[in-house]
Amino acid sequence: MHHSPLSPASTPGNSTLALVGHPNVGKSVLFHRLTGTYVNVSNYPGTTVEAARATARFDRTASLLDTPGVLALPSRSDDERATMRALLSENLRLIVQVGDAKNLRRTLNLTALLAELGVPLVLTLNMADEARACGVDIDTAALAGELEIPVVATVATAGEGVAALTDHFAHAKVPAPLLRYDAETEQVIETVSTLLAESVPHPHLAARGLAILLLGRDSEVERWLTTQATGSDILTRIHALAPLAGRDSLPARLARQRGHAADALARTVTQQSAVPDRTLSLLLGKIAVHPLWGGPLLLAVLYAVYLFVGDFGAGVLVGLLEENLFADILNPGIKDFVLSHLGQGWLADMLVGEYGLWTMGMTYALALILPIVTTFFLAFGVLEDSGYFTRLSVIANRVFASFGLNGRAVLPMVLGLGCVTMATLTTRILHTPRERLITTFLLALAIPCSAQLGVVLGVLGDISFGAAALWGLCVVLILLFTGWLAGQLIKGRRVPLVTELPPMRMPVMGNVLKKTTGRLKWYLAEVIPLFLLGTFIMFALDHFGALPWIIEAGKPIVTGWLGLPPEASAAFVMGFLRRDFGATGLFVLGSQLSALQAVVGMLTLTLFVPCIASVMMIIKEQGLRTATLMLAIIMPVAFFIGGLVNHLLRFAGFS
Amino acid sequence: MIAHTVRIRLTGTPTGHRVRLAEFGEEIDPLQREQLLAYGLVAQQPLTVLQQRPMTLVLCEHMELALEHGVAHHIWVEEEARN
Repeated sequence: MHHSPLSPASTPGNSTLALVGHPNVGKSVLFHRLTGTYVNVSNYPGTTVEAARATARFDRTASLLDTPGVLALPSRSDDERATMRALLSENLRLIVQVGDAKNLRRTLNLTALLAELGVPLVLTLNMADEARACGVDIDTAALAGELEIPVVATVATAGEGVAALTDHFAHAKVPAPLLRYDAETEQVIETVSTLLAESVPHPHLAARGLAILLLGRDSEVERWLTTQATGSDILTRIHALAPLAGRDSLPARLARQRGHAADALARTVTQQSAVPDRTLSLLLGKIAVHPLWGGPLLLAVLYAVYLFVGDFGAGVLVGLLEENLFADILNPGIKDFVLSHLGQGWLADMLVGEYGLWTMGMTYALALILPIVTTFFLAFGVLEDSGYFTRLSVIANRVFASFGLNGRAVLPMVLGLGCVTMATLTTRILHTPRERLITTFLLALAIPCSAQLGVVLGVLGDISFGAAALWGLCVVLILLFTGWLAGQLIKGRRVPLVTELPPMRMPVMGNVLKKTTGRLKWYLAEVIPLFLLGTFIMFALDHFGALPWIIEAGKPIVTGWLGLPPEASAAFVMGFLRRDFGATGLFVLGSQLSALQAVVGMLTLTLFVPCIASVMMIIKEQGLRTATLMLAIIMPVAFFIGGLVNHLLRFAGFS
Repeated sequence: MIAHTVRIRLTGTPTGHRVRLAEFGEEIDPLQREQLLAYGLVAQQPLTVLQQRPMTLVLCEHMELALEHGVAHHIWVEEEARN
C-alpha cells in the first residue's frame, strides 16, 4: 500500500496540493512563490490560522492549499485541527511537506505520520541557507532513497530550489513508512485499520494512517468518524482498545516511537560541521529575552515606534497631507466644483459640508488615518519580520501568568495593535477556550488598533510626550487589572508556556513592503466604506436636528463625568462605528482640548466598543451571547474608567 | 576521566552547560509531554542551557526553546560528572 504510486488519492480528477508543515518554516512564502498569491507571512508561529487556497502557477488546473502550521499530529490545537480538517476533506493529489532544513529530526517526526496517510508526498527542506549557516549538511539523495519520495532543498524567500521542487511533483509517491511500531501497538493499529477499512473506509486517506491518528486521540478525526454511520460505536471500541490512563498511554507511546525513528533517520543523513556563531543574530536574540536588558529593549522599541508613527506619521506626514494637500488644495477645489455644479443645498452639504462625505469621510480616511497606519504597518512589519515578537512572549510570560494566561497570548495582543479584528482570529493559536476568551476580552477592551493608536499618538504627542506616556500608563494599568480580574473570575487550567524562538533575522524589506501594501489595501477596503457610512449618519443626525439633541443628552456624562467639551459627544457617536473614527473626531477638536481632556477623551475612546468588524469577528469566534456580554461590560467600564481618571487627575492637579 | 552520570533538574542546570535529556517527571501531563516530544525533546537528546531567567531557554540542535519553570523543573537531565 505504502509503496504504490497510485494511491486512492492519485485517482483522476483530484487537482489539489496541500502545503503542510510545522509553524514558521516558510509555508506561506512558498505558497506565494507557487501561486503568486500573497498571504500574510511573518517570523513567528501562528501567522496562518485558516487554510488559504489559490491556483498554482506551474499548473493552472491545480489549486494549492496553504495550511496552518502543525506542531505535531494528532491535532491538539485549533490551527492543527484546521489542517487535519483540510487533509480529511480534500481529495489531495499530493502533500508537499515543508520542513525546516536545520531541524530535520523534527521535520521527520511529522513525516513519520504523514507517510501513513496513503497520499503521495514531496518533502521540501526549506531555509536551506540557515541550515548551511549552522553547519548542517543533509544528504538529500540518501533521505529521498530512504523515504522513496522526492526530497528538495529550498530557500523559499530567495526562490532557490522552487523550480526543482515543482519539477518533482510529477514523481511524488506514497512514502515508505519510517517505522514499524512495537508488536503490541502494531496489533492494535492493525485491528483498528481493519475495522475502519471494512466499516467506514475514507474516500482518500489510508485506514492505517487514520487508525494511528484515532489511537493518538485526534479530535478532528474522531469528529469525522462520528459523522459516519456506526462511527460512534467504532470510536467507543477504539477508545476501549487504547485507554488514556497511565504515564505510558498509547498516544504518548506512538509519539515517542515516531520521535525515535525520526531521530535515527536524521542522524543517518545529516552531518554537522563546526561553524562560527552568528554573532549579531544571537546577541540580539539574547538581549531581547535577557532578564535585565529585555525590558529596556522593549521600552526602546516602543519609543522608536512612537517616534516613527507618532512624530513622523501623525505629525509630519499628516501635516503635509491634511494641511498642505487637502485643506489648501484639494478640498477648496472640490468644494468649488461641487457648489458650481449643484449649488447650495442638502446634496452639496452632504458631499462637502461640515459632515460631508468628502470633507469629513474621505479627508479623515486619507489625510489623517492613512499616513498614520502606513507608518505603523511599516514599523510593525519590520518588528514582525525580525522575530522579536516571539521573544516578547518570554519576557511577558510572568505578567500574562497573572491573567491565567501564558506568554503566547502576547502575540494576539501585539497583533491587536495592528488590527483587533485579525488579532481576534489569531487567538486560535492559544490552546484552551479559556485562554481565547480572556485574550479576546482584553483585545476588545484595552488594545487600540493601529489607526486609533496613531491618532492617539498624534493628538497626545502634539501636547507632550508626558500626555502620551500618561495615556499609555493608564491603558497598561487597566489591562493589568482587568486581565488579573478576568483570570480570577474565569476559572480553568492554565497551560505553562513552551515555545520555539525563531532566530532573529534581518527584516527583508521586500516582504515588509508587500505586507504593508496588503494591509493597506485591506484597510482602505474596510475603512473607507465605514467612514463614509459614519459620516453619512453624522450628516443625517445633524441635518434632521438630532445631533444637537444627542450632544445635549450626552452632557451629563461627557461634560459632567468625563469633563470634556459638549462637542465630544459627536466623537462617541462616531466611535460606535470605529474607535479610530471617533478618535479622529477628537483629533479635529485638537486645540479646544486641554491636556487633561485629551488624555481622558482618548482613554475613554480606547476602551470604548471595538469596531463593527471586530464585533463580527468576536461573534464568529466566541458566539453571540459572549459577544453581547462583552459589549455590555465594555461600554459602562469605558465611561466609568474615563471619568475616574478625569477626577483623579484633576485631584492630582493635572490640567 | 568520566566516572558516572548524575541526574539533575533542567532548572538546576547552570547556564552554558551541555546536558542530555534523561526523562520527563510524572508531573508533566500527557499533552505537554506530546508537545515536548514534538519539539524534539527525546531521551538522550543533547541540550545546551542558554538562560534560566525569566524562563529556561535551551538550545536543542539548532532550535531555541523557551520552557516555563513549571515545566523545566520536571525535566530531568544528565550531566557528565568527573571524579
